[in-house]
Amino acid sequence: ETTLRMANWLPPSHPLVAEVMVPFAEQVAEATQGRVTVDIMGAPLGPPGAHFDFAVNGIADITFGVQGYSPGRFKTTNIAELPFLGDSAEAVSVAYWRTFDEMLIDAGEYDRVKVLAVFTHGPGQVFTKGRDLTSVDAIKGVKMRVGGGIVHEIATRIGATPVEGPSSKAYELLSQGVADGILFPYESVAFFKLIPLLDQGLAVPGGLYNTSFYIVMNKAKWESLPEEDKAAIDSVSGEALARLAGQMWDRVDAAGLAEMEGKIAITTASDAQVAALAAQLQPVIDAKLAEVSETGVDGAAALALMKAEIAAAGTE
Amino acid sequence: MSNWPVGASILFVLLLSGMPISLALAAVGTIGTAAIIGWGPSLSLLGQTFFDNSRNYSLSVLPLFLMMGNFVVQSGIAEELYRSANAWLRHRRGGLAMATVVACGGFSSVCGSSMATAATMTKIALPSMRRFGYPDDLSTASIAAGGTLGILIPPSVILVFFGILTQQDIGKLFLAGIVPGLIGVLGYAIAVMISVRMRRIDLPVEEKLPLAARIRSLRGTAGALALFVFVMGGIYLGVFTPTESAGMGAAGAFLLTILQGRFSLRTTFETLFETAKTTAMMFFILFGALTFTNYVNLSGMTGDMQIALTFFGDSPTAVILTILAIYLVLGCMLEGLSMIMLTVPIFYPVVAAQGFDLIWFGIFVVVVTEISYITPPVGMNAFVLRSVVPDVALKTIFRGLLPFVAMDIIRVALLLIFPVLVLFIPAHM
Amino acid sequence: MSRAPSLPSPAGPARAALGVICGVMLFAMMGLTVVDVIGRYLFSAPLTGATELTEILLACVIFIGLPAVSLDDEHVTVDLITGKLPAAIQPFRRAILLLASGVVLAVIAWRLWAHAGQIAGYGGTTNSLRLPVAPVAYLCAICTGLAAGITFAAAMRPPRD
Ligand code: NA
Ligand code: NA
Repeated sequence: ETTLRMANWLPPSHPLVAEVMVPFAEQVAEATQGRVTVDIMGAPLGPPGAHFDFAVNGIADITFGVQGYSPGRFKTTNIAELPFLGDSAEAVSVAYWRTFDEMLIDAGEYDRVKVLAVFTHGPGQVFTKGRDLTSVDAIKGVKMRVGGGIVHEIATRIGATPVEGPSSKAYELLSQGVADGILFPYESVAFFKLIPLLDQGLAVPGGLYNTSFYIVMNKAKWESLPEEDKAAIDSVSGEALARLAGQMWDRVDAAGLAEMEGKIAITTASDAQVAALAAQLQPVIDAKLAEVSETGVDGAAALALMKAEIAAAGTE
Repeated sequence: MSNWPVGASILFVLLLSGMPISLALAAVGTIGTAAIIGWGPSLSLLGQTFFDNSRNYSLSVLPLFLMMGNFVVQSGIAEELYRSANAWLRHRRGGLAMATVVACGGFSSVCGSSMATAATMTKIALPSMRRFGYPDDLSTASIAAGGTLGILIPPSVILVFFGILTQQDIGKLFLAGIVPGLIGVLGYAIAVMISVRMRRIDLPVEEKLPLAARIRSLRGTAGALALFVFVMGGIYLGVFTPTESAGMGAAGAFLLTILQGRFSLRTTFETLFETAKTTAMMFFILFGALTFTNYVNLSGMTGDMQIALTFFGDSPTAVILTILAIYLVLGCMLEGLSMIMLTVPIFYPVVAAQGFDLIWFGIFVVVVTEISYITPPVGMNAFVLRSVVPDVALKTIFRGLLPFVAMDIIRVALLLIFPVLVLFIPAHM
Repeated sequence: MSRAPSLPSPAGPARAALGVICGVMLFAMMGLTVVDVIGRYLFSAPLTGATELTEILLACVIFIGLPAVSLDDEHVTVDLITGKLPAAIQPFRRAILLLASGVVLAVIAWRLWAHAGQIAGYGGTTNSLRLPVAPVAYLCAICTGLAAGITFAAAMRPPRD
């Protein structure tokens, strides 16, 4: 009998814990007929960005987190974070896992762990207060809270003034008027209680960015498991786990959108706006793909595969 | 999994042997963690804990608020605060001691540390109180107690730590400290009156200044007032975030130093050097506490503690009174920051589950920490007084502090019964 | 628990150097906030990377300040009963404690160094400016090692007072 300790930096009620990690733990126990159980820790062992190394160093057996919290470390993540990929986190997540399994894994970024899943959040959109978002240059000069990474570059390219700060500070930045807009998925706007602080939303088809997540396991611990348990865990991780997570993000995005009803007026971007955004963001996309290619994985080919898989996953 | 009683006992022995708190915490935390997850992972966690937490943007306010306080000390506005408070209170019996308390409150509004407030006011208020024949126990106690307000009236280093540990809005915590801080000033002034009456001390009373002169004396407080309004107003109006307010406040205090004609390159570097050392010292306690907290979490002590907190019943009142009792006992022995870092991560989930507002709990924790600064045997502010005026016995200082501690207990009771005193201002932010 | 007041130290130049370095860094931290806030309001142009530069400066101030704390013996300790022990055993207690503290600092330095190597291994950078993080971690390791050395040296010396 083995107990795997899962490090956790989120409150137990967070949907990523309650609706992904807890069901996953149950599935592992079920698939291994109780030989392997996953124990989710109640208190964090360190800041979110430290969690990948917690798995590498064996401090916890399983950890999850956001690749973007360790800048410079994961270049292949770019593939999943690009604008205009898709409206469904489930489709994007499943496609991301398949692309990862087929191509991205060759970059070697995850060689020191066993990868249980990679997946993404729902699409990030634009939210502001007191701004008409229907014109082509609507975003120009808006002080937009960003977390860094690709979102910072996207905000800059579309003419916003990026205001840096962690997502936990988003409320503070918006309520105090330090920022007057934010790039976020629907779920996060609701989760961080920002709805009263915003009144306009711009929904860009396919979204402006996604956030990439990982769930990984300590390699030595993985290798110490008997073959039948490994096979059992494999049967509930990988694509299945990516799908579970993507479905959760889609559910909470829908709930967030419903909560905005009557409080935030959401406009779908016009063709002219989409065309303008596409032109503005092409240099970001090119630069990100070039970064992926630095790892030895062909960035353009990976994106092509990713898009094909998104289309395929969307029709399944 | 539950070897924590062994770890806690070893920690206790190491602390009593005089080992630096930060290193004792780190050592016991690492060894205890190794016993649970093995040496390799435990040692990796040690390195990760010390480095990954050192780059926390929110924590950058600590050196900046310390810097602000140290510049304020350098600027000399403490003297002017004291002169003005004195102009209003000199005709009352014990007026100089009351003025000390009021000036401490004023100084606290621009300085985030209790020890810095006490140390500064000692140099300014003690000489005149001695000149007028105030007994040492009353004069030192009024400074030691008044100094504790440094962490309650915003800005406050302790509230920053509390906000980080519990993910609460530091701006709201700051605003919540204002009313309890004013109650504290009032309470300490009453404590001075009680001391004077009960002991029938025959203190000289100066003649009452004409109103015009009293009002004129307020001019000297303009610098401190401007700085306070700049920092707290900036947060309140949303011109900058609480995190940014520290940098803006430090810059404002530096400007004040120049305006007051107190700038010198040498003093400035000394001020900054002291700031850096205090920063290093405080953060090492934080890292040590985090290392120990990881061990506590892995060993299951948190669960045991949470059960222990409901030992006297699991009603909110029973739990909060149990916590109050624990803090009063721990506060006698531990230094405030270490006490908070050891207890808050364990207590706050229980307190929140009982339905208490965590902003309120933050102020509660700070007020009990204030008490810890002035209770024997380990009372940091009494130690500060003693190190500045070595000719006064610690016993004398602690004796003088009795009525002040009594007023603190009354203040805690008030906050328990009327939480609105704490929550009114932040609710209107 | 108390902090010993600073004593005139034989390591005067070292203190002065540490003082100037820490002073410059603290001033830079303050300046970053001011420039960022003013830039945001007056020119709609906040300082890119102000957050991460502040974070790096914070780590530097903490760890460069550490040898100074050890040099001036200003770590917070509990002196509840140590002051009441017989004078004859005080030198031994002090030497043993300093050795133990030195060992703990040395272990922390070693682990920081290892962690720095790990960060260097995957090329960890900051968020916006893409500055490498590993050199900062190496600096932290070296400063902690320095503090360990200072503590060992103090254990070998007779007490100052
Ligand atoms: Na204060
Ligand atoms: Na005490």
